[in-house]
Amino acid sequence: MSLLEVRDITMRFGGLTAVDGVTFDLHQGEILAVIGPNGAGTTTLFNAITGVYQPTQGSVKFRGAEVRRSPDLKLAVRTAVVGILGAISTFMALNAQEIWTAAIDANYLLDKPFPWHKALADAWATARAAPLVWGIIPAMVGGVLGAATVLALWQRLRRTPDLIARAGLARTFQNIRLFTDLSLIENVLVGMDSRLRCGYWTNVLRLPAFSRERSRSTAEAMELLAFVGLADRAHAAAGSLPYGHRRRLEIARALASNPTVLLLDEPAAGMNPSEVTSLMQLIQRVRERGVTVILIEHHMKLVMGISDRIVVLQYGRKIGEGTPQEIQADRRCIEAYLGAEDEL
Amino acid sequence: MRPRMNPILIFFAVAAALPMFFGATGLFYDAFQSIFVFALVGLGLNIITGFTGMLNLGMAAFMAIGAYAFAILTCDIYPFQVGFWSGLLLSGFIGALAGFLIGAPTLGLSGDYLAIVTMGFGEITLDVLKNLEAITKGTQGINPLPRPTIGGWTIELQDERSWYYLLLLILGVAVLFVRRLERSRTGRAWLSIREDALASQCMGIPPKRTRMIAFATGSAVAAVGGALFAALLSSTGEPNSYDFQVSILVLCIIIVGGMGSVAGTLVGAAVMVGMNAIVLVKLADLFGSREQGASSNVLASPNNWKFLIFGLALILVVRVKPEGLVPPRLEGESGAQPPAPPKSQSGAAAQGAGA
Repeated sequence: MSLLEVRDITMRFGGLTAVDGVTFDLHQGEILAVIGPNGAGTTTLFNAITGVYQPTQGSVKFRGAEVRRSPDLKLAVRTAVVGILGAISTFMALNAQEIWTAAIDANYLLDKPFPWHKALADAWATARAAPLVWGIIPAMVGGVLGAATVLALWQRLRRTPDLIARAGLARTFQNIRLFTDLSLIENVLVGMDSRLRCGYWTNVLRLPAFSRERSRSTAEAMELLAFVGLADRAHAAAGSLPYGHRRRLEIARALASNPTVLLLDEPAAGMNPSEVTSLMQLIQRVRERGVTVILIEHHMKLVMGISDRIVVLQYGRKIGEGTPQEIQADRRCIEAYLGAEDEL
Repeated sequence: MRPRMNPILIFFAVAAALPMFFGATGLFYDAFQSIFVFALVGLGLNIITGFTGMLNLGMAAFMAIGAYAFAILTCDIYPFQVGFWSGLLLSGFIGALAGFLIGAPTLGLSGDYLAIVTMGFGEITLDVLKNLEAITKGTQGINPLPRPTIGGWTIELQDERSWYYLLLLILGVAVLFVRRLERSRTGRAWLSIREDALASQCMGIPPKRTRMIAFATGSAVAAVGGALFAALLSSTGEPNSYDFQVSILVLCIIIVGGMGSVAGTLVGAAVMVGMNAIVLVKLADLFGSREQGASSNVLASPNNWKFLIFGLALILVVRVKPEGLVPPRLEGESGAQPPAPPKSQSGAAAQGAGA
């Protein structure tokens, strides 16, 4: 069974069909390149796979299943709680003054013990005596709030990027998106977030678990920075890096989550030939770590040099798939992208 | 790299030493008590706007919620009377709850829209406080509020030096709280959302949840600030003490001090509130002594210059030092962990750079 099954993915933006029924498989441990002329829909395909866009049609299965949150009892309970609390608090808000006066002001005398039971009983009695219309409005508000919660939680059931990242698909971006004001190591640690377990109060109180996790995660982050060759600048701001190094930092950040699949969006864009060569070595070493790689790339030397298989897109459609040799021999692919020979 | 002092420590050292040079009472204490209170509220806003990048124009509302929660829970005209310290803690929790409630439906909104929502929330809170007279006593405010007791010793309202150190202590605890969060997984998630929300989400950080936590934490800190504001006056004051101008003042504090910088917030509060409480008061004295019929001239009352000066300060900072007086620093840059010499990993680096 293949690791990632992309089935019939279609992305429409209004009248424009950016990706049209693309289907391919990704196998464990391979390097798959997706190529196509600019505007062929490669990045849109990536965005659809990683959950940035919701595909208009089609499915992406990772290890045989779609990555989604499943609707469960919690959803129903939360909806009910929000609805009921909304109704109650609206009712209280509408009658706050009367209830307060009856329960607190009427019962409280300075320096006398406060009769809590009587106050509660009075509050209840006042609430019961409220006109019916004060009951209808809260019920409506509660209903609306409950419905809104269902909608909001339903949205959470979609394939969101954070869910997909946590499932093991990490990515880089075509227009590098680093956290430029954070240091290199912090960038990598953000990438590692899904593997960190310390909660809010553990962090505030600096419980022992915090120090343990901090030393472990810092060591791992330094190891990753060394892996991409940036360890010596670990505490510099990411924004201070030169262009080629930013690409490497993005890769380190993506690797920090221990992904199964790494999606690289034009990793060689804007690099000079020697940087491309070292990038190729880096991608090979990423594969040796046991990470499966999909990459979008226009740099043919890189694509033909390292990929096991190639998928070719044109105008959003897949027009070819195969090994680099097969693609180089495929007439349609050559015409679409590699450049047709002149037939004068 | 030259070693740099930790500006937060400097602030606290200076603040702890200052009362030695002043008497036991006086203008100095009034000024610094409000500096500390607004530094607290600024810390809250710094979490929301400085760390997480959500523009909040309704910080005064959370201050008001803290103040009124504290007042209702502790004032002896109500039956609750939980005492100073529990009241302070509970008002923090109520502030966090209010942050959750306002955040849940709105934190999906981006930048400008959230600013409008929080601004509206500030106005609504004011109106509610004014009109819910049975509970909030309308425009009179709730008073008197209890004085804090520490092990049987009560700090009286007139004992300004003790109040000064009490506020300094609480501010110190709040700074520690915020710094610890900032330098942990929680804080990194906040910063990453500010830097690039999409990239952060693609790294597996749930955006809405993270924003909610930041919003609730900031609201809680501001609510504690509001509670202390009320405790200092022994009254919540009228609801108008928490109006839009206060929200803007707090925003000015973090802009002048440096967005996302805890030290900057402290310095910003000292500069902005100090200007308000020391410079303007001194100016008022000056004008008052020189010219008896000051009321005839609008400019003779320095209070009327307040916003002119705030505005000038803001323009000056944004033009000359847009990152603020004490911009945020990178972790590990402070000299605690000296950066590795440039070519220590030359093998990996050369292979890495490839150029």
